[in-house]
Amino acid sequence: MLNYAKIWSASARYSITRTLMFRGDFFVWSLVELFWMSVNILTITVIYEHTQSIAGWTKYQMVLLVGTSMLIQRFLMGFFWSSIFEMGRNIRSGNFDFYLAQPGNVMFMATTRKLDPDSLLNSLVAAAVVIYAARQLGLDPSAGQIALYALMVLCGVVIHYSILVLSISLAFWLTSAQGIEGLYFTLTEFSRLPRAAFTGIATQMLFVWLLPVVMITNVPASLLVQGFDLTLSAWLFGSALVWFAAAVFVFNRGLRRYTSASS
Amino acid sequence: MFAIFDKYRQVFLTGLQSNIVYRFNFAVRGFFSLFHLAAVVILWSAASLGGSGGLGGFSLGQTITYFVTLLILQFFISAFNEDYQISEEIRNGLINQFLLKPINYFAYRFSIFVAARLVSGLVVIVPLLIALPVLREYLAFPHDYRVLLFGLPAMAMSAVIQFSIAYCFGLLSFWFLEIQGFVILSMALETLLGGQMFPLDLLPEWAYAIARCLPFYYQMYFPAAIFTGRLTDPTLIFQGYGIQAAWVIALLLVNQLLWSRGLRRHTAVGG
Repeated sequence: MLNYAKIWSASARYSITRTLMFRGDFFVWSLVELFWMSVNILTITVIYEHTQSIAGWTKYQMVLLVGTSMLIQRFLMGFFWSSIFEMGRNIRSGNFDFYLAQPGNVMFMATTRKLDPDSLLNSLVAAAVVIYAARQLGLDPSAGQIALYALMVLCGVVIHYSILVLSISLAFWLTSAQGIEGLYFTLTEFSRLPRAAFTGIATQMLFVWLLPVVMITNVPASLLVQGFDLTLSAWLFGSALVWFAAAVFVFNRGLRRYTSASS
Repeated sequence: MFAIFDKYRQVFLTGLQSNIVYRFNFAVRGFFSLFHLAAVVILWSAASLGGSGGLGGFSLGQTITYFVTLLILQFFISAFNEDYQISEEIRNGLINQFLLKPINYFAYRFSIFVAARLVSGLVVIVPLLIALPVLREYLAFPHDYRVLLFGLPAMAMSAVIQFSIAYCFGLLSFWFLEIQGFVILSMALETLLGGQMFPLDLLPEWAYAIARCLPFYYQMYFPAAIFTGRLTDPTLIFQGYGIQAAWVIALLLVNQLLWSRGLRRHTAVGG
């Protein structure tokens, strides 16, 4: 365990050094994320000029929900995103050999290699959005509630991570996992909606339960807004475990099929 | 005179062929867009229930119709990856061949763009037809042929604006190695001010007045608003044409400037 922490901190140091080398890039990408977060917040502000509630959620409750969705996304992007997508390309090109030769769990090595400091910086902005919304709502969460919120956000990150690793692992079979990025961003659109808005049975089954993109944000946000719900929290925790196990299983199955590429 | 058109007609036909190869990719992209539409329907249905029934004076059906129109327009006129293609040609030196031939690079690229959008636009109709049974109850297009008459010129100019902006970003490769950051940055602005997150008339009056002066408004929102009957006053439409035409000219001038300045910095290596 300590060994992995050392490896990870070495990767982190490397990523930060790299960022310092390309400062202009860092600046532009930080702005990109900041802009996109503002687009989502502004959209909510405009919609609430014309309505009082969306599926029972008031304006600042909705801001809190969207802030939570941003927070999870920033963490995912900051810690794993680049590595996971590079993995897909490496499987195709055969460069993946490099990870097999390393002394450590392959999935860990391949998915934690690169950090994106710009996303990590913006996770502070996302956290600020959540705190601002909570203040506007006059919420006063206890330390326990905050800890639970953090745990649920962590579960969300684990589920997103697992879904991504699982989809990119398909590259072991299909050699190309292109287009997944686009699909992922489409799915995150659902994570910014309140669960109660999903009135159709088909959409509810698909996005709320089967692919828990909606629950990932709704459970932590409702925890602050409406209070703790044991069933929902346990459900999210359980599905994080299930998704993670599925990702590990599929990844290792795929690894067996990996044939490298001659060059 | 006609020889010039013939040249680009050939480019258009070749572009048509090479884009038909990607019909499957366009169709998949179209199917993904249905997910986006689902999210739009869920969000706006809930918003309309939570208000006094309407959304800024328009019904839920009219709002959904707006987003469907936007989706169709997107596949017919918006730039997909033209900026990256141009950037690639500059960085790889492929652009050198055009410098030696009697061909205008902008016109060449634009001909391919028109061909590509014709293909993607026709392909997106397939997933929309499949979704039609579900979508139908939400659709509320105006029953007035004049919206087509007014909308089509706006749509044509929007296509030029869309392409010109992408072309500008592509040409930035003369100065910068990587343009992706700029492209996604401007995409955020275009998404918001082009009306893809919400119909722009929902903005507070002062913000709407500002948006009307910006090129993004004419990239997508303007034709969509005419087609869906959100913008009906002929005076306002003709005013819009004027501003839109001004932006078309301004962007073409910027393109020309970037091209001539960029070429001075360009070094053609190899053969």
